[in-house]
Amino acid sequence: MGERVHEVDLVRRLGELLVTVNGEPMDLNYSEVDRHGQVTLQLDGRSFGASIEGTDSEVSVTLAGHSYQMQIEDEREHAAHVAERAASKGGGTIKAVMPGVVVETLVELGDEVVEGQPLLILEAMKMQNEILAPGPGIVAQYHVEPGQAVAAGEKLVKLKGLE
Amino acid sequence: MFQRILIANRGEIALRVIRTAREMGIECVAVYSDLDAQALHTRMAHRAVALGGATPAETYLNVDKILAAAKETGAEAIHPGYGFLSENAGFARAVTEAGLAWIGPPPEAIEVMGDKIESRRAMQAAGVPCVPGLTDPVDDPASATEAADAIGYPVAIKAAAGGGGKGIRIVREREGMESAFRAASGEAESSFGDGRLYLERYLDRPRHIEIQVLFDAEGQGVSLYERECSIQRRHQKLIEESPSVVINAEQRAAMGEIALRAGAYVNYRGAGTVEFLWSGGEFYFLEMNTRLQVEHPVTEMVTGVDLVAEQLRIAAGEPLGFDPAELRLTGHAIEVRINAEDPYSGFLPSTGTLHNLRAPGGPWVRLDGSMYRGLEVGLSYDPMLGKLIVWGADRDQAIRRMRRAIAEMNVGGVRTSLPAVLQVLETSEFGAGEYDTHFLESLQLAPPPEFEPLVAAASAIFRHTQSRRRALAPQHGSRNAWRDRGRRSVSSFARRASEKGDQA
Repeated sequence: MGERVHEVDLVRRLGELLVTVNGEPMDLNYSEVDRHGQVTLQLDGRSFGASIEGTDSEVSVTLAGHSYQMQIEDEREHAAHVAERAASKGGGTIKAVMPGVVVETLVELGDEVVEGQPLLILEAMKMQNEILAPGPGIVAQYHVEPGQAVAAGEKLVKLKGLE
Repeated sequence: MFQRILIANRGEIALRVIRTAREMGIECVAVYSDLDAQALHTRMAHRAVALGGATPAETYLNVDKILAAAKETGAEAIHPGYGFLSENAGFARAVTEAGLAWIGPPPEAIEVMGDKIESRRAMQAAGVPCVPGLTDPVDDPASATEAADAIGYPVAIKAAAGGGGKGIRIVREREGMESAFRAASGEAESSFGDGRLYLERYLDRPRHIEIQVLFDAEGQGVSLYERECSIQRRHQKLIEESPSVVINAEQRAAMGEIALRAGAYVNYRGAGTVEFLWSGGEFYFLEMNTRLQVEHPVTEMVTGVDLVAEQLRIAAGEPLGFDPAELRLTGHAIEVRINAEDPYSGFLPSTGTLHNLRAPGGPWVRLDGSMYRGLEVGLSYDPMLGKLIVWGADRDQAIRRMRRAIAEMNVGGVRTSLPAVLQVLETSEFGAGEYDTHFLESLQLAPPPEFEPLVAAASAIFRHTQSRRRALAPQHGSRNAWRDRGRRSVSSFARRASEKGDQA
């Protein structure tokens, strides 16, 4: 979750699911209420009305009004992702987190940028949002130009990691 | 009273108006865009007219189509809701010129109050206290810098035609002026088609406190007390309450009197809100919203007055439904907004389909929304899906009740502002009433870490359950093979039969 990692072991024994979280056994009862995502959770006698939805890799949980976004990977996926992260060494491609229109680009190709520096302005829902550099780097490529409409997840700008 | 009205709006506010009108025995005509053919306001009205088209310009902003719909259905009056055409004086005029009643203030009042610069001039003339600043707009960064030097920093830059927090920038020192001016002007130009800006002093630790007023058909005004809306982000309100903890009875009366003076000066009629910035015991006129506001239920809960019903009575020329002398502020009410936004990613809009909805209930809990299972939340309209409102005997009870109601609620399929609201309600500062308009932005928004191991375990079981279900479900591949085999045997049988026939 975010930066934090929780390790969960699930073992099915005699029809029951044994749960271990971060090395500690957890006395958890999980049952689905419907196929839409409503679940009942009971932990050490405490009851929670919760709701879970998502895919195999990203799950969104609402618990007592609080909302959690979890990224899930199994052992094999975890190993693959670790290798991927090690290979990229900073830099990377910044994608649009929401659909909108590119109003203005604020840095030139080849510019060196610092973390938090505005790279371009994306207008969505009539609000102008500055898209910030996630870390230091060199502007390697623009995938968009001013006036262009972009969908969520579309590539905006590529940063090359500093040597 | 009217027999039939048309509601020129969508979403929760259209439904809100329909609910009261139905209770009063008035027939409702809804209008809808292609995207809203299945919306709740379309379904809950007595009649619904398709405007044709998907964009606001083709539908909810299209004066000709809306007037034609009113004519076709025999509606006698038009309620504009909030947003869209509600503060468009031209529309108000077109409605009355078409021989229909306009459920809103006179167009002249909309015009004066809708222009921030003109309204400021008018309010200064009426003796309403205003924040130090310019009465004339500026249109280039150099003159803005010069003006800001005279007013004193920090300075707020606002769109002359603005509203809803768009086109507003705060400048703390001279150096930031030029870039802030360009950004605000661009935003104002694209949102309102008017890039003019005006400047004013930015107040420290300000609180946003507004007075709800009603002016009856004779022009007699009544104040329905204050709402405090200081929990906001980039001037978008998130939590509203009444009464405000910083206002005593004396100041409540003083602010009410000033608000009525503001309305009377522009010959106001109907429901309106006079917004003030409150700072260290002093208050200054901010703007007047010449419409029903999103947060009006807060006032309804503490006064027992149905503001939509009063709007309808005033527009029909009838007296108010209550005696202003008997009006009391009772208990405490809180409203929170349910926006399709991700509070953990800077409140970016969130889209998806609401397939997993659980509504709260219980004593003194009110849900005003337009959500239903299957609603597709896109980017075409405002991200506000609804509002949750509670009443309590006192503020503490209201806060506890709201926390309880939010814990019961689930809006699955999009991310919403609710967890951020819950976090605010759980802070000791909010509990003590010690907050200002910057409070929300000062918070580190994150869900409580103590539930993380439980959530992690539940997520893992969720994935495990999903993949087990997929493994047990009949495979598409095998089903196709079965069907193909069936087809083959039928066709080979037919071939054999025809071969036999040939032989015979």
